[in-house]
Amino acid sequence: MSRVNYIVWGVLLAFGAFVIRESLNHKYYGSDFGPGPGFFSFWLGMLLMVLSLVQIVMIYRRPAEPLPDGFIPSREGIKRMLSIMGALTASLFLMEYLGFSLTMMGFCIFLLRRLGRQPWWLTLVLAVAASFGATYLFGLLQVMLPKGFLGFI
Amino acid sequence: MEAFQHLMTGFAAALSPMNLMFATIGCVLGTLIGVLPGLGPAAGTALLIPITFKLEPTSAIIMLAAIYYGAMYGGTITSVLINVPGEAASVVTCLDGYEMAKQGRAGAALGIAAIGSFFGGTVATFGLVLVALPLTRFALKFGPTEYFSLLLVGLTLVMGLAGKSLAKALVMGILGLIFSFVGVDPVEGAPRFTFGVAPLMDGIRFVPVVMGFFGIGEILINAERSLTGVMAGEGKVSSFFPRRDEWRISITSILRGTGLGFFLGLIPGTNSAVASFMSYSIERKVSSHPDKFGTGVIEGVAAPETANNAYANAALIPLFTLGIPGSPTIAILMGALIMNGLTPGPLLFSQHAAFVWAVIASLYIGNIILLILNLPLVGWWAKLLKIPYNILMVFILVFCIIGAYSLNNSLFDVGMMIFCGLLGYLFKKLDFPLAPAILTLILGPLMEQSLRESLSVSQGDFTIFFTRPISLFFLILAGVIMVTSAWQAWPAAIREESKGAEV
Repeated sequence: MSRVNYIVWGVLLAFGAFVIRESLNHKYYGSDFGPGPGFFSFWLGMLLMVLSLVQIVMIYRRPAEPLPDGFIPSREGIKRMLSIMGALTASLFLMEYLGFSLTMMGFCIFLLRRLGRQPWWLTLVLAVAASFGATYLFGLLQVMLPKGFLGFI
Repeated sequence: MEAFQHLMTGFAAALSPMNLMFATIGCVLGTLIGVLPGLGPAAGTALLIPITFKLEPTSAIIMLAAIYYGAMYGGTITSVLINVPGEAASVVTCLDGYEMAKQGRAGAALGIAAIGSFFGGTVATFGLVLVALPLTRFALKFGPTEYFSLLLVGLTLVMGLAGKSLAKALVMGILGLIFSFVGVDPVEGAPRFTFGVAPLMDGIRFVPVVMGFFGIGEILINAERSLTGVMAGEGKVSSFFPRRDEWRISITSILRGTGLGFFLGLIPGTNSAVASFMSYSIERKVSSHPDKFGTGVIEGVAAPETANNAYANAALIPLFTLGIPGSPTIAILMGALIMNGLTPGPLLFSQHAAFVWAVIASLYIGNIILLILNLPLVGWWAKLLKIPYNILMVFILVFCIIGAYSLNNSLFDVGMMIFCGLLGYLFKKLDFPLAPAILTLILGPLMEQSLRESLSVSQGDFTIFFTRPISLFFLILAGVIMVTSAWQAWPAAIREESKGAEV
């Protein structure tokens, strides 16, 4: 666990430094308005760095801890998570071209088959309900969803 | 007296057919969220915000508030019938509620939970009516200096009580604040942390962040473990009333639960789970048969369920009167208010009196709707639990995408939600509490504005925060809270260290 903690607090330390660097691009103290846009973020970056450094020192002084049970996901678990993240990312890029309904139809079919292992007939019924059904329902609520190249779904 | 006149006007608005319908829909949807495992009140309320986009502000908030307290009640049903809490506050209800169900007394457990929830919620709302105007009048004396110090008190409480590590809670609070600075600076209009990305000029909206953290993050955590968990249970329910000898003991438990839940609701940083757990342990301590707790005693259900609902309604007091959200779900409600052009705080009562009193009146009505709606439909709710999680998860994801997109018709927000989902997963995995980040994301712009306005008034002199008595009081309070939290965390750290050294 110690190595994981080093990485986590190290990333936060670097992020704090990045925030400070970005803050310095802005006025630290305005003339008429009191503190400038860089004031608050500068000190937050500082605080983040100090906290991270203190934690790193504390981890260094503490004896090494083993990883808690189940911290590293199983191979199957990783596959499931990657499927979900992959499907979400693909739908993000496809939605503008294919529209909400078609993209969500594909999204649902993929996840229901890949993770749900549902039969085809149920997969199709649920996918149509979640995609075209949702478009219709939210259309009634005047919520506009992307239409894509077909222009109507 | 003035408050009751306002309340009557509020009832007139809340009882309009449209608002009544939205309160009912909110109660139904809220109960659904509470019933379905893996969807807590925060994620559920955030997921359902898109439904309210096109509604007028009063109806939208009435519906969201109903979703919020409906979810609190929904969690009880699954705890009692199948020993699966729908949300954290109902975990403790499983102990005696499920035991009662096994003895064929699920109806009595659900009945007393509904009665207790109704009583606790109604009394807490009555408390809101009583204290709203005096507290608002006091808060109207606040300038930006006092407001900044008050926000600091709220944040220190949230950080002090969130999670196991104060450092992690602090980091999350800082990250939320940094996220909230993205966009155009509110005072001078300069773009910050936008890196030339046009959609970032509008800032990071809280809905995609909340949906990512609580919706997608939770799904990823569940996907990591298993998606095969199919809920089962017949949920046979008979009489909804306790036995005659149980009434007396239930009434005292309900009264204690109401007091505790109401008190904890006023303190930012606590949550409904704290209320229900504390209530359960108090009941056990005062009971003449503490050994029987966990075997199906009725006060083990009545007290925590009452405390949980009294908390939910009382938590609206600091939000409405001071503009301080005490929990992530309340912060989401605050975000929804801001989205509707209403800034919670003392001015809400003077500038939007009709709105705020209609919402308060709707809390009473919502509690009655929940009571009427839920008891006869318990069997139906139980049937919903048979939906496999791997199907439910796909629908939740679709809803998340719709919610993030429809906020501003922007695919960028969908991308932000996916990114926050990944962050939410990592934070949960590493035990970083999410609540402080959500709270500071919403409060960040208000905090920065009040800090900068104060320093502008004092021409850069920081002593303004210490020379104004109310501000000084709040700062001392914030300091005491931080020191107490650090003090409580310190011995644990030392203990861990020495334990580790022995190994």
